[in-house]
Amino acid sequence: MFDVTVPIHGVVSLFGVDLWITNTIVVSWVIMAVLLTFAIIARVKLKKFTDKPKGFQNVVEMMVGAFDGFMKSNGSPKIQWMGGWFFTLFAFLLLSNIFGLLPGQRPPTADWPLPFALALTSFFFIQYSGIRHNGWQYIKGTYLSPHPVFLPVNILGEFSRPISLSFRLFGNILGGLILISLLYGLAPVFTRFGIPVFLHLFFDLAFGALQAFIFTILSLTFVGLAAAER
Amino acid sequence: MHHPVAFVLGMAYIAAAIALLNGILTTIGQGNVASKAIESIARQPEARGPITTNMFIGLAMAETSGIYGFVIAILILFVQPLLSDDLINRLIASFSPTAANAACDIIACLPI
Repeated sequence: MFDVTVPIHGVVSLFGVDLWITNTIVVSWVIMAVLLTFAIIARVKLKKFTDKPKGFQNVVEMMVGAFDGFMKSNGSPKIQWMGGWFFTLFAFLLLSNIFGLLPGQRPPTADWPLPFALALTSFFFIQYSGIRHNGWQYIKGTYLSPHPVFLPVNILGEFSRPISLSFRLFGNILGGLILISLLYGLAPVFTRFGIPVFLHLFFDLAFGALQAFIFTILSLTFVGLAAAER
Repeated sequence: MHHPVAFVLGMAYIAAAIALLNGILTTIGQGNVASKAIESIARQPEARGPITTNMFIGLAMAETSGIYGFVIAILILFVQPLLSDDLINRLIASFSPTAANAACDIIACLPI
């Protein structure tokens, strides 16, 4: 049978608090290590970059150029300085979502805390960019509009954003994981050859990339809306 | 007469199925978004890029309610909040095989 619960590898006691080392933590640290290694290699090789790109330089320039175009076409000029954060978010989510392609592994985004933590950072970016670019006008326009009586409703609406953002990613990835596990666990043996490839292509690769893109562009849109003129 | 825990489990599975039914309306809404986007692309093929981006944002927005229903179904099926130890003990304590209407006993036991 399949299992939706996250495997726990061990318990660490820190200052009297038991921390569970779940599969999510291990896998997300592995993905962070991969991204960091790539970043360090790119930084070291940056000195040797020439006007005529080839090989590794082509890949890096293509990625940065594509994301620069994405930021320019979807974000207002005020929030261009956040491009690095959104690029990191997209790369991390993409690698996390397609981690289920590795045999026997589950994507870490199928565990709710990880998407919620990322969505919380988006939430703080929304508030920060709104207050930085519009100051008191942002608080007045978001929380006290149309009348201060609506403050609780507005707070609820603002705090539902990270929850809906994280549930969207979590639900999609978990749904794909459950469907694939159902096929592996319940279907007859002869259907387990070949057919899972298409399911993995659809649920892990296509949906994973799409959900990473949607998470990034929704965060970008919210931040852009908060930073816009009022 | 059935065992009350089995009754609660069966009802929970039916509840999960009902929670997943909102996929019907979600799908209709997403279909509307996609069809309108394709109409606009047919009218203005040069605006394909922005329309596709906005279509994905709209699709994600319309998907939210369906995902909420899915998460609720997952919670009912795997976390099983209705089958806490306390509730099971109370159910079994009040379980009488000769009761004419077990459903009434169970509903009286639920913490609502």
